[in-house]
Amino acid sequence: MIPPEILSDPKERRALIGEYALGLLDEAEAAEVQALIDSDAAAERDYLFWSRHFLALADIVPAQQPAAELWARIEAETGLAARKAAASPALTERLWNSLGLWRIAAIGALAAALLVFVTPIFDRAPPTGGYVAVLQQPGESARPGWIVRVAADGGLSLSPLVDTAVPADRSVQFWTLVDPAQGPRSLGLVQPGGTVEIPADRIGPVIPGQLFELTLEPQGGSPGSRPTGPVLFIGRAVQVASN
Amino acid sequence: MPNPFADHEAALAACARGDGGALRALYDAESGSMLGLAMRLVRRRDVAQDVVQDAFVMIWRNANRFDPQKGSARAWMFAILRYRALNALRKSSREVELDEGAAEAVPDDAPDPQQALGQMQESAALRRCLEGLDEPRRKPILLAYLDGLTHIQIADRLAAPLGTIKSRIRLALRDLQECLQS
Repeated sequence: MIPPEILSDPKERRALIGEYALGLLDEAEAAEVQALIDSDAAAERDYLFWSRHFLALADIVPAQQPAAELWARIEAETGLAARKAAASPALTERLWNSLGLWRIAAIGALAAALLVFVTPIFDRAPPTGGYVAVLQQPGESARPGWIVRVAADGGLSLSPLVDTAVPADRSVQFWTLVDPAQGPRSLGLVQPGGTVEIPADRIGPVIPGQLFELTLEPQGGSPGSRPTGPVLFIGRAVQVASN
Repeated sequence: MPNPFADHEAALAACARGDGGALRALYDAESGSMLGLAMRLVRRRDVAQDVVQDAFVMIWRNANRFDPQKGSARAWMFAILRYRALNALRKSSREVELDEGAAEAVPDDAPDPQQALGQMQESAALRRCLEGLDEPRRKPILLAYLDGLTHIQIADRLAAPLGTIKSRIRLALRDLQECLQS
């Protein structure tokens, strides 16, 4: 148990966090300080203060070459290897077949359905029929980012719900997938922050469950006919009841 | 291919968005230094590689918890590395009787901590501040950071009473924080 007089004195507390950063505390004390760092922004700053200054000591230790397979082990444990396998060599099978993304897209579809029923504010031009897809960040099922509306006449609009920060040397590209056997099709580049309108003849017929996604690509878009960069937002079309 | 990430903060933010290329960029930039520090701490190459692996998996999984307002991304990454390395070190020292001599021990050629000071970047604030400490306060800090020694091990190494070592370290950290903030 760390004495309260240490915790209440900022200098003593910072020294204590320094001891933690050095790895000197016993298990019980370390757990207390860890809890403090997790819950108190000033304590976290102190911890990173010490960690940053101690880097000057880390930097005198000669670097060592890791074994070639170390990165493969990290890729396997983080799930990045599975993602990469899905992305190549058959690009058509890319993330579109990934169970996780389909699941997210399904949640997106549910969110889109709810949005249509409970929040007509997003539905300023109520489609008579047509489709809606809410595009969300992968893994962030409660974070809608963009909304796709396909009107009954087949024209599509893509509108931002949030700001999407894009590095100056990158572009955001919009894709759709109808048939996994054919692979995704580019619908062009997107300027974050503005609504994009795409005429029906470029979209083609939309079907329930059709996927839409935004990916981060090199400036000017993917060099090939397939996405190359990370998925920023993804979602699946749900049919809007005509009324 | 040029590193598309301006700095470690930008790469960590990209990791938080699920960009595996960003983790690879961080790995390319830091895995060698991290493995060096892990080997210095745990003294075994196989264990040190496990530590680096654990650290990068933790970096990936916790990237969304890093807040650049609170500190530097590189400091955050090395704090994770060191935390994993010390866990491995303390675990292996408990198991040492069972495991003695197993697998690829790293020869103990680590330089004396006193030499460490001379190898630090001249511009580093920590160097200036450590130079301002007298040796009895400075040496325990170096032994703790670079060799992962505990209070008791430092007391043994320096042939000083445990209580004395504890208070010297606390005083050294008080002096250092004052100097580093000035």
